[in-house]
Amino acid sequence: MAIVAQSSKLSNVLWPVLAWIVGLLFFFPIFWMVLTSFKTDADAVKPEYLLWFTPTLDNYLNMTENYDYWRFARNSVITSVFATIFTLVVGIPAAYAMAFNPTKRTKDVLMWMLSTKMLPAAAVLYPMTFLTKSLGLFDTHFMIILVLSLINLPIVIWMLFTYFKEIPKDIIEAGKMDGVDTLGEIKEILIPLAWGGIASTALLCFIFCWNEAYWTVRLTTTDAATLSKLIEGNRAPEGLFFGRLSAVSTAAVGPIVVLGWFCQKQLVQGLTFGAVK
Amino acid sequence: MSKRTLPRLLQTPAVFLLLVWMLVPLGMTLYFSFIRYVLNSLRRPEWTSPSLSNWRGFGNYEFVLKSKDFLLAIQNSLVIVCSILFLTVILGVLIAVLINRAFPGRGIVRVLLISPFFVMPAVNAVLWINMILDPVLGLQGIAVGSINDMVEGLRNAPLVGWFFSLWPELTPISFRATQTSALAVIIMVTWQWTPFAVLIFMTSLQSEDQQQKEAAVLDGAGPWSQFRFLTLPHLGRPIAIVVMIQAIFHLSLYAEIEIVSRGNGNKNLPYLIGEFANNNIGAASATGIFAVILANIVAIFLLRMIGKTLME
Repeated sequence: MAIVAQSSKLSNVLWPVLAWIVGLLFFFPIFWMVLTSFKTDADAVKPEYLLWFTPTLDNYLNMTENYDYWRFARNSVITSVFATIFTLVVGIPAAYAMAFNPTKRTKDVLMWMLSTKMLPAAAVLYPMTFLTKSLGLFDTHFMIILVLSLINLPIVIWMLFTYFKEIPKDIIEAGKMDGVDTLGEIKEILIPLAWGGIASTALLCFIFCWNEAYWTVRLTTTDAATLSKLIEGNRAPEGLFFGRLSAVSTAAVGPIVVLGWFCQKQLVQGLTFGAVK
Repeated sequence: MSKRTLPRLLQTPAVFLLLVWMLVPLGMTLYFSFIRYVLNSLRRPEWTSPSLSNWRGFGNYEFVLKSKDFLLAIQNSLVIVCSILFLTVILGVLIAVLINRAFPGRGIVRVLLISPFFVMPAVNAVLWINMILDPVLGLQGIAVGSINDMVEGLRNAPLVGWFFSLWPELTPISFRATQTSALAVIIMVTWQWTPFAVLIFMTSLQSEDQQQKEAAVLDGAGPWSQFRFLTLPHLGRPIAIVVMIQAIFHLSLYAEIEIVSRGNGNKNLPYLIGEFANNNIGAASATGIFAVILANIVAIFLLRMIGKTLME
């Protein structure tokens, strides 16, 4: 270690500086969006007000008027929350079965579940539109919740499975001795024990639901339209509305980015399916 | 009923749901890809509803393969995906090594770095194409404009004026144009997914064998050879996984393409499917099957790698 320490007094200063520059550069677009959201639409495109301007909250106060923000936000919350709950209700028992009562085929079942996640959504665009329309489910919360759940189910089962596998089987078995039935085992032993894992899985699932931008755009028009649809519909403001568009964008991503900070670790596990440790 | 039957049955709802979710729409796509099926046709109204009597065999596939847009879409899909992979892996490794050392404020830098990954794709695209890349009102336009003004001012300066008068006036790039719209998509997705690569590589670096590293230092290995012979091989597997996961995600990019230029110059397979689906369902379905095949090629490798670690 001595060699490392003496070899680089200069790099001891340069290294953190470089790291900070990289971090700030990556964050800059988000910072810029937040900054622009406090400018009036007119100021937002004037070079002389690039950094020094009179901040205003008008863009946020007028979000309802300009974009009907809260209707879209409400739809995002409803669909993401219920999709997360539904995914967990289906996913926890499945992951429990696979983790504590595996069969020879459990591995294949898990792999197959993951493979459904890898189908490109666009390939089934028309059948999905056709089915939802003929079932009368087009532009309904129910359909969006169902689709979001199915998209995320494989990842959720996968994450829960890796958490559950770390719980010693004896603890679960001990419940059987006391005459607890299977559902009791899940409710009274498994869920309290794996609470942390379940919570972070739910958080990640919620984030993915919130950010989904294919089906939420293609299968809705107004009633169940989420924030993705709102932003997509205002894609080219031609410079007229940078201020208000920044405000609505900030409101749409702000809470999720902050939530994301708390589940970085789970993200690695969830997205690499436990293959990177 | 044996003691284990009920617990095992608990996975049935999940399996059933996913089975329906996979088989029904995909089966329909497969079926539609073999029949003539259009949404509007005054000339042949019988084609407007799906029916086996409109059987076309591989006709839709031939039609798609012959269309100019298809080759363009494949080309765009590959250019976009490969460029993003190349950039995110290189940047990801460099940044992961950079912040793997302890330094003041490392936690904050991590938080700053990971943030782009959680921005929803629609906001990412709208933010970049308008507020940052717009040739007039975005930061790019403003930057180019002020550089031009500065050079203009310096041209009249004594002594150095002649030097600046040789400088051409810079023109900002329009990223909605046919030639550059794919580049815009590459920039914004790279910004969003580099943090993902960094996160994975960093997780992996933390499990690197420190003793081995110290031994290498004692043997006189410089930082470069440590990186080349210890760190890079250690990152081999995570790199492969990052490449495959991203390939699967980016093969189905849609929102960014739509928002940047509505497919002008950066039309990829999903976008082409969306265009066909406005009327020609047969062609859209055949294109969909091609997209499935393309994604499967990547997925098989990925699943194999994951499968290995599965039951450890």
